[in-house]
Amino acid sequence: MTTDTVGTADTGAAAPKASSPVRNKRRRGAPKFLLALPAWTWFILFFALPVGLVLLYSLGEQVSAFVQKPDVSPDVWSLDNFDKAIEPEYMPVFWRTLKISIIGTFICLLISVPFAYWLATKVDPRWRGLLLGLVLVPFWTNFLVRTIGWQLILSPNGLVSDGLQKVGLRDDPLALLYTQTGVQIGVVYNYLPLMILPLYVAFDRTEPALREASKDLGASRVKTFFQVTMPLAMPGAIAGMLLVFIPLMGDYITPVLLGGAKGNMAGSLVAGQFLETFNWSQGAAMAVIMIAFILAALIVAALLGLLLRAGLRANRRITLPQATRS
Amino acid sequence: MSTVSAVNKPKFDWVKLAFSAWGVVVFIFLFMPIAWIVVYSFNTGRILTDWNGFGLDGYKSFFQNAAPRDAVMVSLGVAALSALVATALGSFAGVALARRPGKWSGAFLVLVALVLVTPEIVDAIALLPWYVLLGQDLNITAFNSGWVRLIVSHAVFSTAVVTLIVRARLAGMDESLEEAAGDLYATPTKRFTQITLPLMLPAVLAGGLLAFTLSLDNTVISSFVSVQGVTPWPVYVFASVKASLRPEIASISTLMFLLTILVIGLVAVVLRRGGDSSSGIAATMTGTG
Amino acid sequence: MTDSNEPIKILAPPAAVDRISRRLFMGGAAGAAVAGSALLSACGEDAATDTSATPAGEIEDALNMFTWGEYNSPKVIKAFETENNLDFTLDSYNSNEQLIAKLSAAKGTAGYDIIVPTGPFIPALVENELVQELDLSRLKNFGNLEEQYKNQEWDPGNKYSICKDWGTTGYAYDTTKIDVEMSDWQDFLDVAMNQASGNVSILDSPDNVVGLWLWANDINWMTEETAQLDQCEEFLLNELAPHVKAFVSYPGGGDMQNGNFALVHAWNGDARQGILGVDNPDQWKWVFPGPRSEIWMDAYAIPVGAPHPNAAYAWMDHLLLPEVSLQELEYIGYNTGVKDIEPLAKDAGIERLDMVFFTDEQVASMETGVLNSAQDRRVEIYNKFKSAAGS
Repeated sequence: MTTDTVGTADTGAAAPKASSPVRNKRRRGAPKFLLALPAWTWFILFFALPVGLVLLYSLGEQVSAFVQKPDVSPDVWSLDNFDKAIEPEYMPVFWRTLKISIIGTFICLLISVPFAYWLATKVDPRWRGLLLGLVLVPFWTNFLVRTIGWQLILSPNGLVSDGLQKVGLRDDPLALLYTQTGVQIGVVYNYLPLMILPLYVAFDRTEPALREASKDLGASRVKTFFQVTMPLAMPGAIAGMLLVFIPLMGDYITPVLLGGAKGNMAGSLVAGQFLETFNWSQGAAMAVIMIAFILAALIVAALLGLLLRAGLRANRRITLPQATRS
Repeated sequence: MSTVSAVNKPKFDWVKLAFSAWGVVVFIFLFMPIAWIVVYSFNTGRILTDWNGFGLDGYKSFFQNAAPRDAVMVSLGVAALSALVATALGSFAGVALARRPGKWSGAFLVLVALVLVTPEIVDAIALLPWYVLLGQDLNITAFNSGWVRLIVSHAVFSTAVVTLIVRARLAGMDESLEEAAGDLYATPTKRFTQITLPLMLPAVLAGGLLAFTLSLDNTVISSFVSVQGVTPWPVYVFASVKASLRPEIASISTLMFLLTILVIGLVAVVLRRGGDSSSGIAATMTGTG
Repeated sequence: MTDSNEPIKILAPPAAVDRISRRLFMGGAAGAAVAGSALLSACGEDAATDTSATPAGEIEDALNMFTWGEYNSPKVIKAFETENNLDFTLDSYNSNEQLIAKLSAAKGTAGYDIIVPTGPFIPALVENELVQELDLSRLKNFGNLEEQYKNQEWDPGNKYSICKDWGTTGYAYDTTKIDVEMSDWQDFLDVAMNQASGNVSILDSPDNVVGLWLWANDINWMTEETAQLDQCEEFLLNELAPHVKAFVSYPGGGDMQNGNFALVHAWNGDARQGILGVDNPDQWKWVFPGPRSEIWMDAYAIPVGAPHPNAAYAWMDHLLLPEVSLQELEYIGYNTGVKDIEPLAKDAGIERLDMVFFTDEQVASMETGVLNSAQDRRVEIYNKFKSAAGS
């Protein structure tokens, strides 16, 4: 996932080394690529085909409560479900989901950059493994359980509200549960490790020598960070943003537990069509729209990123002739 | 990140202090809800959120009631079996990717990447109709079984994870040992069991354990595809969230948390023995390697 | 009892249920309290003392019940398990739709022995051959059930089901946050849009949502008149929606204790659990509002293909014992319909019985749902209302 675009000094730990073609030619007796055949079949059977079926269902129509499967015969095919899904009642849910996801991704980034940088470069290497392990602990704690924990903390009788009142920052209970802020806190928390880890890996793999060189050439710490370290860590940041943004757009548990009426997101809208109203066709169409939102956001982000990079390059050439790239 | 002069070795490093403080704040944030669940698992009140007193009632009720116990047993069984499936499929695919890459491997990796990034809710709503189709329309009755559905669903994502881990491990190693064995007239089977397998074993083990915990924690897909009588523990918890949360829920969560941490600790040990760096381990464990 | 827990609904004649679209069958209601001509005299003998629930065969070593969350006293289950030396497995669902989906998907191989649908869903279950006919002679304690809870419109003669319990809808408010005296639905709407604005929870159920405005205006909630429904929609979407904090079906499950709301729209048993659970129960006030409200009933039934039918009969029969029924009532807070349960509960000193039992006058103001043409419209209003509350 962390495709290198800036030419980092890759340690090669995880990067595949292409095995020499010469050797490969030598032995044809063992067609090892056949070993991947079961996995191919597996993914096609239980990933590609089912997801394809969702598309088909989005064109069909609900039959009745006792027939789970919608009618998908070609003569009922229509885009009605899509029309319905983009009606003014539902569109705000998709836009809200996008907003929460974008804000959540950026907050994760803001928290993680200094944190991962600290962990990768400032912490004594002896402790690094342990601290990194600690970051993994929440990641490996059940998503649902973590979110229930936030329910306890965010309720008006919970930790945050009580704490603020005791410290005297508030006179009355603060209700964060069942608000959009509550969902925002929940998603930032739930996806934070997915931002920290790739950033850590990226910072860890940048050579300290580059930073030293930059400082030796007279750049300040801040300049070094933004002009040397950060560009090198960019692949990690991009990977982290993708890892946070995509699942966040499809989150279902966080809004159900923390969102209330105001924090409803697309994931719960889709789930409701399957679990409560039993309108699979409608739910499938909503899921397709959700995916379309994700893809559109990624494309826009990629374009913006390219523009930004072009802009920065041009800018740097003019104002920073002493730029410290080795 | 204030602007401090670069040459300040002997001076007290305020920047470092600020970073460390931030580190502590983030750790508190990361552990707050987990700590709260653990604390409240000792609540003796009738309802989880309402602190009454300290006691082991939640744990007692977990051990005395069949439903939560059954749920945990289902989870453990499903996790073990789906880990087996995923490890087998993923290991073979990983070997093929690392040792015989070709035109197919690009497409295959795209598929693996898609499996990894597709939001869980999409997999969930895709698999539910799919099982109904297979089980009822095509009459492959196995797919009406809750066990089969859970095992298969969980083993999709984790097969992708195992594939990447095994591939990374083998790709980091030269094929020369296997070549040498071949030159010494070892049969392909022998070559595999005596050379390749030991080489990839740490990755296979780590992948298997990861698959186990991934399955243990799966909530979204499980709550869609699970059927009568085969309720895994997150689904049990999710159902209680909608009705009434009792301290017993926090107690199960705490126990499962400890179990998961134990398994993850094992993964880290296995990977470290296998010579991975800490960042390599981190990358592996998030499926981002 | 759940999100889409619909109140008691009526059944259309089985023929009409034939191609029921889910929307269609969600609206009904049956007069649980009202109906009840005692057709079942055969089973009417009082068997209150018969504890030997011995049906036509050995009780098996297991019993699998598929039911709503937190809907039986854990003590009762434990005791039954020990007494009959069997493994009791509970699995839970959150809506009648979920129950139906699981049963119909498995086509008689679900493995459940007992299910607990809400009354009006039963004809549909029967129609689809998902539940089996009951042999009432195997329920020695059936006579313990009050006549008025037998023989409901949706299951004449209790051919397929027996009453588990019944309840109604009202609201509760936190008197430390709301200082006006409240007594009817109009009060609920007024306070929700003023003092309690942004602090209100609404039941996650279409019928109950439209009921808010219709009842406040003394209109039957099952009205089919377009003009009334238009007005209702207009009010809900434009006036009430911005003030709603969350759609919650069980505010008593923790939200009330946590102070998440000042005003909760709730079913009586759940509100009771909530009030009993808060630190200071006097702080919360329960209101059974007029001029109208609903009545619903959940019933036990045995699905087709149940692997342990004898244990299922034993369980149903066991729950009809007054002392067992009393334990159930104390835990779940709903009227179990067993004879003389009210005086028994009073003698036992069970708390907040005003939230469990209702006066004849109150019962007379409760109305059941009906299967009618307005069902699609109700669901549509509910969907739009939820969406409007989000922005």
